[in-house]
Amino acid sequence: MSETHDDLSIELKHLIIETLELEDVALGDIDPDAPLFGEGLGLDSIDALELGLALQKRFGIKLDAEAEETRRHFSSLNALKALVETRRVD
Amino acid sequence: MTFTPLSQAPWRRPAPHVRALPSDWVSPASLPARVGAWRRWLAGRPGGQWLLYQRNPGEFCSALIALWESGRVAVLPADDRPETLARLANEVEGTLPDAPDVPEVVGQDIPPPLALSPSSTAVVLYTSGSTGDPISLAKRFDQLDAELAAHAKLWPLTGTAVISQVSHQHIYGLLTGILHPLCAGVPFCGDTSRYPEVLAARLEEAGSAERKSVVVSSPAHLSRLPDHLPWAQRLAPCRVFSSGAPLAAVHARQAEHLLHAPVVEIYGSTETGGIAQRRQTRSSTWDPLPGVRLSFKGERLLLRSAFLDTPDAWWQQPDRVAPAANGFALLGRADRLVKIAGKRVSLAHIERTLAETPEVTEARCVDLGRSDGRLGVVIALISEAIPHCHEARRDLIKRLRARLSKHLEPVAIPRYWRFVEVLPCNPQGKLDQGLIRRLFADLDDTRAPRWLGELSSGADTCTLTLEVPERLAYLEGHFEDYPLVPGVVMVQWAIELARESFGQQGDFQGLERLKFQRPLQPGIRFSLDLTRREDGIAFAFISREGRHCAGRVRLRYQDGVGASHE
Repeated sequence: MSETHDDLSIELKHLIIETLELEDVALGDIDPDAPLFGEGLGLDSIDALELGLALQKRFGIKLDAEAEETRRHFSSLNALKALVETRRVD
Repeated sequence: MTFTPLSQAPWRRPAPHVRALPSDWVSPASLPARVGAWRRWLAGRPGGQWLLYQRNPGEFCSALIALWESGRVAVLPADDRPETLARLANEVEGTLPDAPDVPEVVGQDIPPPLALSPSSTAVVLYTSGSTGDPISLAKRFDQLDAELAAHAKLWPLTGTAVISQVSHQHIYGLLTGILHPLCAGVPFCGDTSRYPEVLAARLEEAGSAERKSVVVSSPAHLSRLPDHLPWAQRLAPCRVFSSGAPLAAVHARQAEHLLHAPVVEIYGSTETGGIAQRRQTRSSTWDPLPGVRLSFKGERLLLRSAFLDTPDAWWQQPDRVAPAANGFALLGRADRLVKIAGKRVSLAHIERTLAETPEVTEARCVDLGRSDGRLGVVIALISEAIPHCHEARRDLIKRLRARLSKHLEPVAIPRYWRFVEVLPCNPQGKLDQGLIRRLFADLDDTRAPRWLGELSSGADTCTLTLEVPERLAYLEGHFEDYPLVPGVVMVQWAIELARESFGQQGDFQGLERLKFQRPLQPGIRFSLDLTRREDGIAFAFISREGRHCAGRVRLRYQDGVGASHE
């Protein structure tokens, strides 16, 4: 894993914690492969909408209408990172 | 195509020719075949009440019709959590599967469809009562038809296509997103349309089929519409509905601006069906729906309508209202129920569930009025259970969340947790708004420690219980894997909190006997001992690990305590 990748992981963790006001979650609590929703970090359907907005604001990423694909992107931190790496426009 | 009431089986009318829409849409013409499949599945099974939870609007609608035409009643659980389904399973004949896996057999004997009687039960819905226990509400066909007729009069659907972002397991989504389009014979879609990107795609699809869209939405969705999506003027819906909770005025304006369409809010409840409507960009007060009669008793709203179980009796709504020109203004709930993402949540239920945990002595759940709508909770614990570090706090929250998730939907679970040994209280013995604000002040002030209580043992000494918030702004700039509170910040906290505890203070003159003994890390719970001295204050930061920092601050007191010109 390169330096840049680590930076992006940390940036995404900050983004998740700040956007969703997860006051009891520290950076080290987000396991890159654990599910973000349901079990794991415990995010819900409202968080999914918030996260979609934040990704657009921060990275210019526009999610598409394929709902299944959207859900896959949000499945874990690493999946989210892969999305940002391929689709960021900033 | 014109409006046909449910009791006259609109799905049995010859379907008009409509321009094809993609497969995510339910077209009226596609229904009879699916209804037939569900009727075959039901043939030979017991009559009575059947549990129906189905995300796909086409399958939902077909299964619903098949239940009706076979003389059965549809029981619609509010969610599909295993506990909910298990609890209801005992009260019904069975649960409908995701799909009717029955091949068509030539000559199979299916009973002919029954005519629907207006006075028979169509659906049983669930909502949360004031105690938090789910209550079931049966709706007859005449109630549903009366309300659908009111919708048809106010908002005819001719030539439209209906896109729903909300669940049809609840009364609003059922009436507006499924039954009205069914009665009007127009295409509809739902489920994944709850995502804004999918909504944009569906608007485009409706436009390509030369249909005007009608969007059935909620404050949870309309307050989170991204502005970058192609919300084109040419695809403007003729109407956007919102219900479930009042929409903030700013979100009403923003949604009208983005979607180029009027946003019409419907006020009502599972018990009453629709009561009133408003377009907030025109008026903040609510006008009654056709057929709804209003009366006021103090701040309480009374109503009569054909949508009620007993139309000729006055129903008292648990919301507080103020009469207005043609209707009323909503002032808030009279009980301890709040709406989160449109779901009715009982604060008392959350508190009771938490208090059943052995280590919890008392819990107070509070609506913080934050824009995210999330709840906070203040929990008194036996002292052995008090978390003293980040990991312990996180584990405790995880366990309490897991316990709540058996009873609540995820969005209803509190997001902000404050653990105390006893609930803080004012001189009247109440955990009042001021104390609640103080307990949660660090949410908006990322420079403050988290305040969890205060104990005075005389006019000149006090001990505050505090926590280092994980999101403290001062932690930034330190190593990611070893964040700590800078010493200067600890001194600043001591000075500021002494001012709050002891009142007026003098000018800073200097520091004495300052000792930093151990780092103070995020998540640590600590006490701050403050003593007022003749020439200033003394302070000590102490946690379970030991003493972190102590010292004295010299202050020069002004003459004339409390003098306003100083």
